[in-house]
Amino acid sequence: MSNHYGQAVGRVIASEHTNTTEFKVVLHDDCYLQLDDLVMVETEVPGFGSVRTYGVVTESEGIYEGASYESDTFRIAEQGILPAAKVRSAKVAITRVDPEKWVAPDPGEVVYQVSGEHRDKALYKDEMGRALPVGIGKDGEPVFADLDFFDGRKGGHMSISGISGVATKTSYALFFIRMLTAHPKILGEGAHNLRVLVFNVKGEDLLWLDKPNRDLTVEAREEWDLLGVEPTPFDSVSFWAPPRRSSGGVSLPDTGGRIVGINTFAWTPREFIDEGLLSFLFTDISDLRSQISFVEERVRSQLRRRAVDVAGEPGAVVLRDPSEAKALGTQAVRPDRGERVIRSLNDLVEALEGYLDPDDGEPEIAWTGRTQSGTVSAFMRRLHAATHRLGHLVAAGESRRVDRTQATITVISIQTLHDLGQRFVVGALLEETFREKEKSGQRLPLSVILLDELNKYAPRDSRSPLKEMLVDIAQRGRSLGVLLLGAQQTASRVAPEVLENAALRVAGRLDAAEAERSEYGWMLPSTRARARIFKPGTMVLSQPALPVPIVLTFPFPAWATRQEEVLETEDPFQGL
Amino acid sequence: MYHDHVAEELTETLEQDTEAQDASAARLHIETWSPEYGAPLDTTEEVVSGPIDCQVETSDWSPRPPSLEGCPNEVAFVDGVRRIEARLTLDHPDDGPVPGLMAAFGVGYVQWDRAGRRSSIDGIEVERMLVMAGGYRVGLDTGPRFPISFESVPGDDPSELISHLQRRMRSAETALVHRLAGPDRLVIADGPIREVWPHPIVGYIKTHHVMYLGKTERPIIGRLRAGQRSPLFLIETRLPRYSWYLRLADLMGGHSWTGIVRGEVAAAMGINQAVKTANWATGLLPGLASEGHLDPRAPQNLVPIGALERDLRRNLGDPGLTIRALRAAVRELMAA
Repeated sequence: MSNHYGQAVGRVIASEHTNTTEFKVVLHDDCYLQLDDLVMVETEVPGFGSVRTYGVVTESEGIYEGASYESDTFRIAEQGILPAAKVRSAKVAITRVDPEKWVAPDPGEVVYQVSGEHRDKALYKDEMGRALPVGIGKDGEPVFADLDFFDGRKGGHMSISGISGVATKTSYALFFIRMLTAHPKILGEGAHNLRVLVFNVKGEDLLWLDKPNRDLTVEAREEWDLLGVEPTPFDSVSFWAPPRRSSGGVSLPDTGGRIVGINTFAWTPREFIDEGLLSFLFTDISDLRSQISFVEERVRSQLRRRAVDVAGEPGAVVLRDPSEAKALGTQAVRPDRGERVIRSLNDLVEALEGYLDPDDGEPEIAWTGRTQSGTVSAFMRRLHAATHRLGHLVAAGESRRVDRTQATITVISIQTLHDLGQRFVVGALLEETFREKEKSGQRLPLSVILLDELNKYAPRDSRSPLKEMLVDIAQRGRSLGVLLLGAQQTASRVAPEVLENAALRVAGRLDAAEAERSEYGWMLPSTRARARIFKPGTMVLSQPALPVPIVLTFPFPAWATRQEEVLETEDPFQGL
Repeated sequence: MYHDHVAEELTETLEQDTEAQDASAARLHIETWSPEYGAPLDTTEEVVSGPIDCQVETSDWSPRPPSLEGCPNEVAFVDGVRRIEARLTLDHPDDGPVPGLMAAFGVGYVQWDRAGRRSSIDGIEVERMLVMAGGYRVGLDTGPRFPISFESVPGDDPSELISHLQRRMRSAETALVHRLAGPDRLVIADGPIREVWPHPIVGYIKTHHVMYLGKTERPIIGRLRAGQRSPLFLIETRLPRYSWYLRLADLMGGHSWTGIVRGEVAAAMGINQAVKTANWATGLLPGLASEGHLDPRAPQNLVPIGALERDLRRNLGDPGLTIRALRAAVRELMAA
């Protein structure tokens, strides 16, 4: 039986109390409800009229009525001598009462599995300012999220959790970005000049975003169609990688599988000093505990006051007396005979050594303050280590900094860098993006940042300049249009400020112990229990517009995620 | 052939016990049924008795094996439950207090599809009545949710009221048996048979109020193993019937009558059909015996019947609601 509400699947159970948060449905013999199905009940409220109660199925149950003992099972099902009635039922969490009279649904009323207009109502689609399809529900229909809660109007940021290896977090984040970029009409004015900064921290999964995936099936195509998006790769992507350490005069990107179409990036000593990137060399957990940060701050400001451009050598600097440097301003000078020209991080460190830890004589107080010599040594030790690990990221010459205006999506490949180097690059680029927006004070154009392994960059239990920046982005980024798409294996290890500010929360498969933590309190208990067995491609999404989280799937990516997946559209050997 | 009123004998035995006779030759047992149900060996309630003929099937009084040859696939179990909801007193100025009661009964059956290995409950009917003694009839408006029939019995013996209820339930059961009976269905009905049927209908008697066997035949009870029956014997009453004892289960520590039930069929079906039907029942019923830890009347209360009774009791409705409706109706009547 069905009508304009949908199919009648059963009735509200009469042997238990209904209330305004949940009720149970006893099902007709020929119907079923599975988890996450959407249902509706119409209740006649005395003196008011009819209200419709919408809900989502959170549990499915079955029992033989008439069986009092466990062994009755055999008498019923095997021997058939005990009469019993098989009863199947489903638990429903109420999502909405329309019109808003918060009364419990009447027992015994018909329960419909909703479709069409009533499905939209169950999911509050009719109340969403800008409904963006963000996945496919269990019923095969699109699930929507209100963009007002992502782009900063009412809320911002998205947090994605899930164990790695089942390719869910980054895949979902990219799918979400694809939806954002492919639906400019829904995104509205934010679509103009939208910039997405993506960090590739593991493997080379994200270096093929512009290539079609040859494993894309017909079914996946249909899913993309359902979401209103062409199953094509991203069309506006620029890729950036650090240069190889020993690529001679040529600057080759430090990537494995793909070299063509990848830009190399680096900072000149001038940029390094001006932007205060020195602080991102001290992102280790132990650095902030000691006096090292004090030394670092002093050194950073001294460098800024003393750096003078070198004529004929773009990006290189010499260090002069602050008063002289001030007088020179942006004017370039020719280096004096024997004067140290800083062309690389190594040069800079050596120059600093002369001030801070000279072989003969005392360190200059202007640089060290009055810190103990042990602290200064520790500072220098770290600088030496940094030179070794990320020295190749700082080099004089024409500016090769990342140009985020080149394409909508900017992929920064940092997987080959040491941890210290990764933190440095992430810190430097976030700083750049955030300061830029801070200066403009405008929410638009929107700047989205996709960063995996947030637990590494914004750990719960320690301090670092990087964490402080991420917390700052989480707290103020919303109004400045800097939107964090953060992913992590374990939300419990990420700074709570970062998590709490994310309006959209998504989780894929979770570790069993992790799923029990309070960070996942937004999930229904039944969903939590199921989260440990989610298949790849299944996520649960919570958004402020909807009181219960919705389980969804998303289509197989239309872009390649590995070199082997790339669909070769032309002969690679052509012209050879 | 010899005639025997076993009830008398049983009374004798009891009297002997009270006179503190030597019981060293006997063994003492605790009845398996919960005490609130009485005991399978009970000496009150409705009794079928008459002259007994123990030679109708054979003179060889040894245990007989079961046989399911020709047994219908469909087996129906008919039973009823009753409940006294309230006792009433009509304070009559002339006749003094007149007793009455409100009671409900329900009847139904379990259909067992042996080949399909499934059972289902069907045919449930519930009736609620208000019976007054002394021929008085009172009318109360208990509302549409509690339809009640108003009945009366002559005389002022309160036990008549219960008997009336019992009769009404039995006749509803009989009507149901009548509806179900057919050549392709074996019907097992609770209690002694009450009519002559051409079809296989077995009266199933769980309690033994009367000892039908004489001293010569009685030892066979102790020799019956689970799934064996005694030879048929004829009870010559207004409605002559063939009867037999059968053991449902061998219970550890039980006395010789533990796990014994009695079956009966109308003698009108003839001895051959009666033997067949008895063999079927003997083959089927032990598999349906309930277990002591699950049913207070195990093993005699068969599994399907136990389930039917539970279902019937639930169908009688909530006793609290009934008494509330009755109180409201009485109050209204008195106010009018």
